[in-house]
Amino acid sequence: MSGEPVDAFAAAQAEGRRNAVRLGAKAEYDKRLKTLGRDYADPDSLRRLAGDIKQHTLDHLDVYLERAVAQLESHGAKVHFAADGEAACQAVLEILAARGAKRVVKTKSMATEEVELGAFLERHGVESVETDLGEFVVQLDKDRPSHIVKPIMHRDRREVARTFEGHGLGAYDDTPEVITRRARQHLRRKYLEADVGISGANFVSAESGRLVLVTNEGNSRFCLAATRCHIAVVGIEKLVPRDRDLAVFLNLLARSATGQTLSVYTEFIAGPRAAGQPDGPEEMHVIFLDNGRSEILAGDCREILRCIRCGACLNVCPVYRQASGHAYRGVYSGPVGAVLTPLLAGEHFADYADLPRASSLCGACNEVCPVDIPLPDLLLRLRDRGKRAGVRPAGAAPSMASFARLASRPASWRRALAAGKLLRLVPSFLRPRALRVWEQNHALPSWRGGAFRAWMKTRARPETKTAPP
Amino acid sequence: MTAPRVQLMATCLCDAFFDDVARATVEVLEHLGCEVVFPEDQTCCGQPAFNSGDWPAARAVARHALRVFDGALPVVVPSGSCARMVSHGALLLFEGEGDAAQAGALAGRTWELGDFVVRHLGVSRWPGKLPLKVAFHRSCHSRGTAYADGALTLLRSIDGLEVLEIGEPDQCCGFGGTFSVGFPQISRAIGTLKVEHVLAAAPDVLVSADSSCLMHVGGLAEKTGRPLRTRHLAQVLRDALQSGGAERPEAGA
Amino acid sequence: MSDARRLIFDRVKAALAGVADKRPLPDYPPDAARTRGAQSPGDPIGRFTERLEAVRGRAFTEPGALGAWLRQQGATRGYCDPALADWLGPALGPGIALATVFERARVDDFQFGVTRARGAIAETGSLILDDATTASRLGALAPWIHVALVAPGDVLPDVAAALAALGDDPNVIFCTGPSKTADVEGILIEGVHGPGEQVALIHPFGRT
Repeated sequence: MSGEPVDAFAAAQAEGRRNAVRLGAKAEYDKRLKTLGRDYADPDSLRRLAGDIKQHTLDHLDVYLERAVAQLESHGAKVHFAADGEAACQAVLEILAARGAKRVVKTKSMATEEVELGAFLERHGVESVETDLGEFVVQLDKDRPSHIVKPIMHRDRREVARTFEGHGLGAYDDTPEVITRRARQHLRRKYLEADVGISGANFVSAESGRLVLVTNEGNSRFCLAATRCHIAVVGIEKLVPRDRDLAVFLNLLARSATGQTLSVYTEFIAGPRAAGQPDGPEEMHVIFLDNGRSEILAGDCREILRCIRCGACLNVCPVYRQASGHAYRGVYSGPVGAVLTPLLAGEHFADYADLPRASSLCGACNEVCPVDIPLPDLLLRLRDRGKRAGVRPAGAAPSMASFARLASRPASWRRALAAGKLLRLVPSFLRPRALRVWEQNHALPSWRGGAFRAWMKTRARPETKTAPP
Repeated sequence: MTAPRVQLMATCLCDAFFDDVARATVEVLEHLGCEVVFPEDQTCCGQPAFNSGDWPAARAVARHALRVFDGALPVVVPSGSCARMVSHGALLLFEGEGDAAQAGALAGRTWELGDFVVRHLGVSRWPGKLPLKVAFHRSCHSRGTAYADGALTLLRSIDGLEVLEIGEPDQCCGFGGTFSVGFPQISRAIGTLKVEHVLAAAPDVLVSADSSCLMHVGGLAEKTGRPLRTRHLAQVLRDALQSGGAERPEAGA
Repeated sequence: MSDARRLIFDRVKAALAGVADKRPLPDYPPDAARTRGAQSPGDPIGRFTERLEAVRGRAFTEPGALGAWLRQQGATRGYCDPALADWLGPALGPGIALATVFERARVDDFQFGVTRARGAIAETGSLILDDATTASRLGALAPWIHVALVAPGDVLPDVAAALAALGDDPNVIFCTGPSKTADVEGILIEGVHGPGEQVALIHPFGRT
């Protein structure tokens, strides 16, 4: 019996892929726990502090955004604003056209995936090469990333080797080291031939205007060392108040994502290259992207904008581990995706209203979130919103209207308790669908409706005892 | 000083399936010197409708609970999941509503059973002798609360009882209420992992403070031909009392 | 463009107008995010070296020893910051050739690159690079081995101190070990686009 879309997707996966995702996610979770426990006596208080700083920033976003823009402009960066994805893509294209630029190298940026910048540029005759190894493979395969931090968690080395072979990157060899060296050689040429480097940003300090880029591979440094123009596409929610606040976020980010203390490269970029520096961009553009964020800011799920894209919630989520990222049908997956995707969809909310239901509400996501986002509460609010929008679940979950009538009428309730034992007499195909789905996987407990109440009624009340000393 | 009076919220699951858990809860509370009041008009805390996203339906049910459990008496409930609904979920449900204050008041005096015994009554040693190897499932609604600590404190204090380590103890059992029928395949897969971890520890019994988790895990295990004995915390505490050594525990012991 | 700017600011302001309880900026001590083990001042050079080696970097305090290691790696052709070449060339010992111009066309001819670091972070084993002290961004990045020269007095205790010292440079980098990826089956591979070997030469000549 088919359940909801995420359930169907999960069940259709090959077991090998499901295991790879589950064990890969678990490994990252284990590393996170180990490093945080080793390095901090009270990691939870640090998470709450980070959450408070982020919430404060969001609550005063107009002030901080203004401040960041002023700083960036004073350092020689050009600042643009994009109300939606289309505007962001157009802004990038205009910058490229002004330079006559036809070749771009890109770092990993969820914001650029969200607005589908790569495909847009291709359509307009610009070669845009993903330089993060995982994203590079995704691009070659015309696939989509399945994890915020580990884009090809759903792929094994054999698949990657076949992809490389199919794209002229050498005869089949599935040794991870060989794969990596080939990517290094191939992409090195691309960096050096490119006109423009495009990045996102993990954080923007309003105090100094610095963009913070957090990477491990060196691809972002190469984009900004080999090209003459840097374009950063940054969601408006990426702001933090001051440089000093970055200590809290940087210490939490890499630990939450992969159990590292810091990622290999943390770049603080305030403007084009310094006078006297031979390499790097002479021109820097920052495109601040709205694309639905201001609308989320206005709503009752605004805390989701705190997200620093660490992927910890994906790694711990029992549903993500079974379903994998592609089940979430969007750029963001796991618990954060279940909240962000329907919200960013705006008027197409209903198309994604099933995602917040794909959760047992276990709360592990909030426990690992470095900015303490109350994810289960947000999932619940979105379920309410979905119901009010008239979205009807595809699965077997029963309607609550009749349950509510029963549970607000005590006499009816007591009658139902007595009558429930008759359910056994009802043929299986006439029973409620929810019950049939339950019985597919579970032995049903015996119906004992009314037994406790009868016991309470008929037993003698105990003597009133004196309290213990 | 008269015996502390408490109201029992039996939970709809105990009403329908697990009457012995509710019975054991009454016996445990009475052993501690409480007078247990059972308001007969009670039905459900509203969580199934709340989790489904049918908040108007959930409000109807939760409002009924507000009326039934009105007053000043503490409410004790043998379920972390229901306790969390009353103490947290209801606050979201009644945000901006006229009964928000009443919901807040009920939230402030509702206790999960183990937490009530340990933190409210100050009892941290349980009498009796039960030579049992126990696998303990820390239900998800205990996250961020003291519920699991209460249960483990009491279990570990029972003479002869050993709480075993199980693999991935913090992972969900996969029940999630209507999640288990809306997403049956994922729910089963998650639950099966739990069954395997529990069986690998070779316990005599799986114990939890939530009947819903036990129903799910136990039901899965039985359906796949590997029956697993399950027992609610209240039942274990009652079993320990009946094993002899039923002196009333001292407060602060 | 400025229409979009005005539109977005208007939307943000409107969104926030309805927020009743705006959260204040929490007041917290500067060491709130300092890790255990970095609590006591201790010996910053020793701590830096230990942390650098924990992320699989290497530390040398003598150019002679560095030279011996380079030769052992078969790394005999390198790029070097011109301000250092006259000192370092002889100090590295025989058989090593230093070029003081990094040519993009010959990017893979350089087996190592030597540049200055502005400082280092003891708490994390990180080197601090910037545009002012890095003679060529590519020279520090493209060769397989990167040697960063840092003066002992420029080793800062922790990340908070390094953030307080960001200064005016437009491009500051905390560089923590060799480049790496685990994108293929979670298997860690070092040396992706950046160096596969990250070396620190801790020596007073690097004084900034």
